[in-house]
Parts: sequence; C-alpha cells; structure tokens
Amino acid sequence: MNLPRHALRLVLREPRRSLAALVGVAIASTLITSVLLFGAASSSTVTRRALADLPVDAQVVLGQGADPAAARAILTADPAVRNVTGFDLAHFNSAATDKAGTATQTSVGVLLGLDSSFSSATGLFGLSSGSVTPGAIAISRDLASNLGAVPGDTVAFQLPGGGSVSLPVSGIVSIVGADLILGPIDAAHRAVGANPPVNVAVMSQTDLESLVLSKIPADAVATDPATAGGTPSGVNTPVFAPDPAVRRELHVQLDHAQLPGDPVAAQTWLDTVRRRVERQGAGTITWVDDAAASLEPLAKDLAWGQILFIFLALPGILLALALSRLAADATADATRRHAALLRARGATRRQLGSVFMGATIVTALIGSLLGVVLGVGIGFTLFGADLASAGAPGAVLRGGVIAIVLTTVLASLAAILPLRAQLSEEIAAGRQELQRGGVPLWQRLYLDVVTLIVGAVVYVVAGGSGIHPVLNAEGNPTVTLALTSFVAPLFFWVGGTALLLRVVTAGLQRTGRLSLVLGRILGPGGELAGRSVTARAAAASRAIVVLALAVGFATSVLVFDATYRQQQVVDAQLTLGADLKATPLAATPASAAANLAGAGIAGVTPFVDRVVYVGPEAQDLLAIDASTLASVAPLSDSFFVDSTASAAMAALQSSPDAILVSAETAKDYSIVAGDHIRIRVPDASGILKTVDFTMAGIALEFPTAPKDAFLVANQAYVVAQTGNDRISFVLARADGNVGTASANLARRLGSGWQIADLGTTSARLANSITSVDLSSLVLLDVGFAVLIAGVGVALFLLAGLAERRREFATLIAIGAEPRQVRASMVGEALFIGAAGVSQGLIAGGLVGLALLQILAGIFDPPADSPAIPLALIGVMTVIVGLSLAGALALADRGLSRLSVVAALRER
Amino acid sequence: MNVITGRGLCRRYVQSGLDPVVAVADVDLTVEAGTVVAIEGPSGSGKTTLLGLLAGLEVPDGGTLEVMGLELSRLSRTERARLRQARIGIVFQSFGLLASLTAGENVALPLALAAVPPRDREFRARLALEEVGLGAAYGARIDELSGGERQRVGVARALINEPALILADEPTGSLDEENAGDVLALLTDAVRRRGASLVLVTHDPASAARADHHYLMRDGRLSLGVPA
Repeated sequence: MNLPRHALRLVLREPRRSLAALVGVAIASTLITSVLLFGAASSSTVTRRALADLPVDAQVVLGQGADPAAARAILTADPAVRNVTGFDLAHFNSAATDKAGTATQTSVGVLLGLDSSFSSATGLFGLSSGSVTPGAIAISRDLASNLGAVPGDTVAFQLPGGGSVSLPVSGIVSIVGADLILGPIDAAHRAVGANPPVNVAVMSQTDLESLVLSKIPADAVATDPATAGGTPSGVNTPVFAPDPAVRRELHVQLDHAQLPGDPVAAQTWLDTVRRRVERQGAGTITWVDDAAASLEPLAKDLAWGQILFIFLALPGILLALALSRLAADATADATRRHAALLRARGATRRQLGSVFMGATIVTALIGSLLGVVLGVGIGFTLFGADLASAGAPGAVLRGGVIAIVLTTVLASLAAILPLRAQLSEEIAAGRQELQRGGVPLWQRLYLDVVTLIVGAVVYVVAGGSGIHPVLNAEGNPTVTLALTSFVAPLFFWVGGTALLLRVVTAGLQRTGRLSLVLGRILGPGGELAGRSVTARAAAASRAIVVLALAVGFATSVLVFDATYRQQQVVDAQLTLGADLKATPLAATPASAAANLAGAGIAGVTPFVDRVVYVGPEAQDLLAIDASTLASVAPLSDSFFVDSTASAAMAALQSSPDAILVSAETAKDYSIVAGDHIRIRVPDASGILKTVDFTMAGIALEFPTAPKDAFLVANQAYVVAQTGNDRISFVLARADGNVGTASANLARRLGSGWQIADLGTTSARLANSITSVDLSSLVLLDVGFAVLIAGVGVALFLLAGLAERRREFATLIAIGAEPRQVRASMVGEALFIGAAGVSQGLIAGGLVGLALLQILAGIFDPPADSPAIPLALIGVMTVIVGLSLAGALALADRGLSRLSVVAALRER
Repeated sequence: MNVITGRGLCRRYVQSGLDPVVAVADVDLTVEAGTVVAIEGPSGSGKTTLLGLLAGLEVPDGGTLEVMGLELSRLSRTERARLRQARIGIVFQSFGLLASLTAGENVALPLALAAVPPRDREFRARLALEEVGLGAAYGARIDELSGGERQRVGVARALINEPALILADEPTGSLDEENAGDVLALLTDAVRRRGASLVLVTHDPASAARADHHYLMRDGRLSLGVPA
C-alpha cells in the first residue's frame, strides 16, 4: 500500500474534512506570524525612538597627543558615519564677575569649544540671546543667574592648575538636552548619576584652544562638584579616578538608516563600527558609545516584550489549535467513511493510522503555510512601516519558520487523540455499542483544582515578595519582569480551562430543565435542542469551553490593554509631574506661578528641583507647595509608606522643616520618622549650604521624582534657608483637553517659558517597552478571538449537522417544519453562546486581574486597580454574537441542502 | 375516494460528469382510502424515491401528484411538512428514533411538533405504546430496546396523529423473521382498524402478500404485480 499517495488522496478526496482541519492551523499560524512580526516592528519602533533623542551617537575622546585632523579623517572616511563635529571641554574651578565694585562668584563649571557647525548639527547650545563672537563667550542661564551676568560683562574663570582667564560675555546659551555630553564620560561616574555642570560657557573651538587650553597644565584634573562646597567631617566621598581638566572630543552622528531595528543587532552593529574606528585610531582615540548605552537596557526590555506579546497571544494560538479537535468532531463521518473504504481495500490498523497521520501532517503544513502568508499580509498592513526598518525579510523568515514548525507539530499532536478515537469507533461501528468514556485521569486527580491553587499561591507569593519593583539605579524606566510574573496567569489559564471543562460537562449531564426552558423560548425545536445538547454533552462542553476561552482571552487582553494605557498615562503624569509643565527660561520666583492661571488651567503649583547632597550622595530635593500640589499633580496613597497622600501633605504643612525621604534613602541611612537630617543645598550662587530637616515620612514615588533616591520638602522653608527663590518649573492641571491647554498656555506665556504636556512626554518615554503601542496587538488578539469563537461554534454546529443528519431527516419526515428544525439548531447555538460568553467574561476578568502582575513589572508604580473597558468588552461581545449568527447561517445552509431521502437511507 | 393519485411521475438525479440517474420513470399510482398497497422491488429499483415523492419529501421532476386532494407540487415546504405532521405517518426501515429521547417521547414527537400540550402528548403516547404492546416502555431509553421493540415504537409514532395515510419503507428490513411478521401484522391491523391507507414498500414477497393491491417496481417503472 502506497501510504503517502493514500494520505494525499485523503486530503484531496475529503475536502470538507481537510478544510475544517486546516482552518484552526491556519488561524494559529497567522496569529503566531503576525505577533512575531509585531514584536519585530515594536523592536524597531523602540530602537528608533530611543536613539531619536540622542544629540550624538558617540563621543570620540582624543588621547593626549592625538592629532584631531587625523582622527577626524578616520571618522569621516567610515561608511557608517554621517557627521563629525569638534567639541572641546575645559573644567573651571570657579567663575566670578566684578560689577561696580561688587564681586560675585560661583562654583565649578565647564568652558566649551565648539565647531561652528556643532549647534546646527546636534540641536544643542542654541543661543537665547546675543551671539558667540570671536574672543567672547555665550554663557548658560544658570551661570548668568549665579553671577548676575549679562552680555557685555566680563567673567573671570579660575582654571585647574592655577591659571585664569577673563572673557567677555556676548550671549546667553541654552544647555537643555546636553546633560549626557557635559557629564563625566567614565562609566563609574555615570553609574551613580553624577550631575552634569550647569555653569557652562560656550566659545569657538579655536578660541578655547588659544585662550584657555594653553593655560591648563596637561596633568591638571577637574574638581569634584560633590566636594566643591566642602565635605562634612565623618562623611566619606566615593572614590573615582579624577576627571581630566581638559577633554578633546569629536562627536559622531551615525547613519541611522544603516542601523538594524532589533536593539541587539543594533548594538552589534554599533560595536562593529566602534572596533573599526578604534582599530584605525590605534590607541589615540576612545569611542564612548552613547547610542549603545541607550540601547543596552532595551535589549532586555524587548526580550521581555517579545515574551509578553507571545504570552498575550498564547491562549489564542492554543485555542486555534484546539479547533482541530472540533474540526475532527465535525468531520468524523468523513474520517469513518474513508477509513472503512481503506479497510475494505485491506489496510491494516497500522497502515490506517499512518495514512491518516500523513494526511494530518500534510493538512497542518498547508494550513501553517497559508497562515504565514496571511500573517505576513496582516503584519505589513498593520505595521508595515516599522517592519520595513526592522529588517522585514529576516523578521518574516524567522516568524514564518517558527510558525510553520510550531503549528505543524502542535496541530499534528492535537489531531492524534480524536483520530485514534474515530478509527477505533470505525472498527467497533458494526457492533453499535454505546461508547461510554471513563472519567479522564486529570479529573480523577483533580489536576485542574491543583493547578489553580498553585497559580494562586504563585500569584500571592510573587506579588507580595517584592520581586518586581527594584528599578535600575539611574532611575531609567526599564522592565523588571520575572518569569514568575507569567506563571500565575498561565496556571490560571490552564487550571481554569480544565475546571471549566469539568463544570460544564457535569452541568450538561444534569440539564433536565434545559429543554423545558429552550422549549418555552423556541417551541418544539428548542425542546429538541435541549435534548440534543444533553445527549452530546462532551462535544457541547468542548464548544462551550472553546467559546468561553475565546471570549475570556479577548476580555483579558482588553482589560490588560486598558490598564496598560492607564498606566502609560500615570507614567507620563509621574514623569512630567502633572498635565502640563511650564519651565521658565530665566530666573523666576514662585510668585510667577500665578501668571499661569487662566482659561483652560484648573490649578497651578510652583515646583523647585535642586540637586542636593545627603552625605556624599547627590539626590533630587523636590521643594513643593504642599497646600496646592495635591490639586494639580497625581498623588496616590500607594506613593507613601504607612500613610496617605493627604496625611503626607498635611505632615509637610504642619512643620516647615518636615521632609519626606525616598524608601532607598531611608534604608541607606537608617532614617525613621522624627530623625533630624542635615542636607547640603545650593544657595543662589550655587554654593552648598547645610540645612536641617526633620524626617516626616517615606515616599515610594512622587511626581517628577527619579525612581530611586529623592527628598520632598516645603518650598517656603528651602527658600528661606538658602535665599534662593528661583523655581525650577510650574506644574499645571488642564481644565479639559491637555493639548489645547498646552497650546493656549504657550501662546499666553510667550517665548520666556518652555511648555511640556502629557502627549509629548508619553512620546518621549521611549526607552522601554512601555512606549510600544499595543493597539495593533490587541486588534490582532481580539480579532482572532472573535474569529476562533465563530469558527468554534460553526464547527460544533456542523459537527452536530453531520452527526444528526438522520435525526434531522427523521424530524423533517415526520412533519417538522423548516423553522422548527432551524429552531433546534438555534437553540443549541443560543445555549452554547450564552454559556460560553458568560463564562468567558468571568474568566477573562479574572485572568485580566492576574495579568496585572505582569504590568507591575513594566510600570512603576504598579496599577492600583485594573481598568475595565466596558464599552469595548460590550462591542466585542456583540461581534462574537454576530460571528455566532454567521456560524448559524453556515450550518443552516448545510441543513437546507440536506437530502432527506438520502439521509434516511444511511445506516 | 383516492388518497393518492399520481400520474406520469418522474424523478431524476443529476450528478456532475455523469449521466442522469432516472429513479422514478413515468409512474402512475392510485391508492384508495382504506386500502393496503404493496410496492415490491429489488434494491435500487426506485421504491424509496417513490415513497419520498408520496411523502412530499421530494418534488417530482415531471407528472402530477395529489395526496388527499392536495397537489403536492403547489405546496410550500412548510405546507408539505404540515400535511405530513397532521395526516401522514411514516415508518422507517432503520426505525428513525431519536437517541436523545425516551421511547415515549419519540412516540409523542409528532404531537410535540404540532404543539400539543405535554400532558396530552404523554397520555396519547402511552395509549399508542399500549396498542403496539409496549405499555411499560414509555420512559425506556432507545438503546435499551431490542430491534423489534424499536420498530414497534416507530409504528406507534406513525399512528399517534391518527393519519389517513401511512407510508412504510421496508418496515421489516432490519428485523428477524419472527419480529418481522409480528410488526407487519401489527401495522396492517392498526391501519385497517382505523380505515386508513398504507403504502408498504418492500423487497420481501411475503410482506407484499398482506396487501390489497400489489405493484412491482423495476428500474424506476411501476407495474401491477401478482401476489406471491
């Protein structure tokens, strides 16, 4: 017997059977392919967004004695390099002005020598006023404020090594966005979040070389800002290699079009470029890879992202494969017929099995190939642009191969059980025995209940053990998921499915009143439907469970997505501080906050953010107006340990020197409520001044605060103690549309203020998977869930039609009207639909809650409660209802084609 | 009075790529009220197709067919269904019982389709079962009954709506000789008691011998036969 030929013949000669088996595999394969392509596209999105904000991709530091022209030639010649600009930096120990006999001095800072094209190439150091004339400098707003200097004044700089230089001021320059290139370039300094200088003076590169660099000895080192104001006795300062007084750099911008979309591949590409350049520079240059540093946390984040995307789609994939089981039920008649034919031709049981398995594998292969084609089509339709930059051919090839292998193997395995049963039935068919299956092993062992209990234990233990919330020291938003985050939802899915199957099957065997109820609704046809559902309890419970899981899958994804979006807004609000943030471009006192009040603004509060020192450690001190903050910024009770938001604000208001410290600070310094804390805070001139505070509580989060160490104190007290009344920014709450309020505020305040709003902040939170828009994935998952629900019920009804051909024919023969026969099918669909959808909504809601544990590892702070998108769930339910109606119409079409006389002849 | 008047009845089946199969060819058939008519013929001769036409389950491609004064080709599917529901009983070779219903519920099924209240259904179904000698089988599951008992349930169901016409398609084809004789006697006696008509399709000459009129069917054509 030629088994492959017979297998192929089975596929071709039983097209109904092949098509039914193919549908589930194709859906699973489409889902896998499109989800993998979504992952690839989102990698590209995140990578691109992460690099978009970088002014330069690499800082190439020239070693002592290196020839800048030779280094520039090497860089310019590299095919990956788009632009090279010169950048020299010289530290100064102090700067001073002497106006009308009054001397004003400030602490450390930097003098920069820039290529003439630097600003236009990088967008940094734009002039707010004046210009950079030869032999003169443009100074930062902070330096101008600290010295009270204006264009036309002269500033005297004390340089490392004892030299000095006096330079006239010709303009004011913005240093916004320049933190990375102004800060230290060694990893150790960057790791502790050393603050970049704010006292900055910019001049041409040739002027810096001739007027400044010549006065600094080659071995001079920069003064550490942490010790610039003096170190209290008994406090240890961290030990770093001192920063050289002069850094000569070439800043490189790469051709991002050549950059792979995948962050790991992008890092490899960047590494290749770095090695290539450093090899040619032969020890004279050091490549500081800002781009690679930005991508570093992304690789891990996106790996988790991929797991998350697949995990979210996993129930859909498995459900689609489970359709194979329903397909086998729906086409059992064809299987038995063909098996009988082969048997008549002398096929042994083993040969029979081989032919049918061969046909199953062929069908699965065709289905998975079809799914890959559909998946690629969907992928390019939904996220084609991102996919193209992610390296579409590679992503398609990877996704396609994974989908084909996975679905072919799983679909073949899924088909074995029903096939074995059907072939056994074929053999036993002549005896007309009533098949009574025993209780499955998993039910006897109560594995469903055990799995749910394990899931609950994992949920409680993992959720309460603090596995997730420790973020990296820099406070960058990175993902801190652990595999345990996925365990609880997975166990809930598996255990819930099994329990649902147990309950539904048991329930269907005891539905004495079902035919009565359906009979009242649909007449005699409904009565028969009730009987039929009870008689086909196993098949009906499979259909109900598939429908319930499909609806549950869609519901849980919708709940997850709604909560994800809610947390994106919370994330943006926490980062920005409120709906709107207005930053003055010149020194502004707190009283100026009142100027922001007006149409479209519901409330304002002035905010001060100073870098202060707790011992040797730099931290952010947030000086706030506790009486107005709560009405403007999002304050949740979960931000505070053993307290509430209102109690924490009341504690600040009741005592001027009260201070809230971050959990990390409280732990590091063993501080408890009531302890006195001595902190060095910069005064108006930047000199650190010691101020005493009293610990009033612990805050885990605070608007605008970094993720790790911060302090919150009363603004009025800080101003009074330091004499520095300059606010950092004003937070505002919009009254209505945030974008409109932002535009109105920007127009009203003019060019003296910089306005940021939630929309721009959300877009800027790019270096994490939180920036990924899940809407395409949700559309995919929910769309496929609805499709699976419809196909599942259609297969059940078609299986019923196949099984009950003679029954329907008999009914028609003894006088059942067409509407009565149809009512019988409608009754079944109605019951299956109602039972499946209602249980699915409950299961989906519960699994959605379990999925919040995953969000706890993505968003910090975690969600207090899930967002339930009732309208979307309602729409989804209606669409599922429509797909059931479609399935019913399909089955009704089959019924109307039933040849009664032929069916009555069948034995 | 004629219960069935058929003139020139034809029924062809067309399959793509194959020549049409003529199952019933130019058949004339008259069945008078209160008579038993047997149609005898070998397998594949068109007997069941003819019965399907008489029951209104199929529509003839040619000819005219009146059943109880109604021209079937002018009735809709629903009207033909109502005619069967109210005035025609059918007995099947393989019983045609629904496994999801009990014996009594199977018998009462035509009444259920006619929206007869449950109590009346049960009462009449019990009477019908008693008539076929299965008075205690109302609540029995179908798979608990023997072949002969199942066909008795089938006969009871065909009789329950007191039909004027009963169509029986090889009613003894699935039974052993003893049961076949019993069921056939039961059926013909019940029909005669009611003054109804019976069209009995069979390939068994002994069954056909019980009829008032005897026809032979070969290759779709019907001719008067001689009782064996």
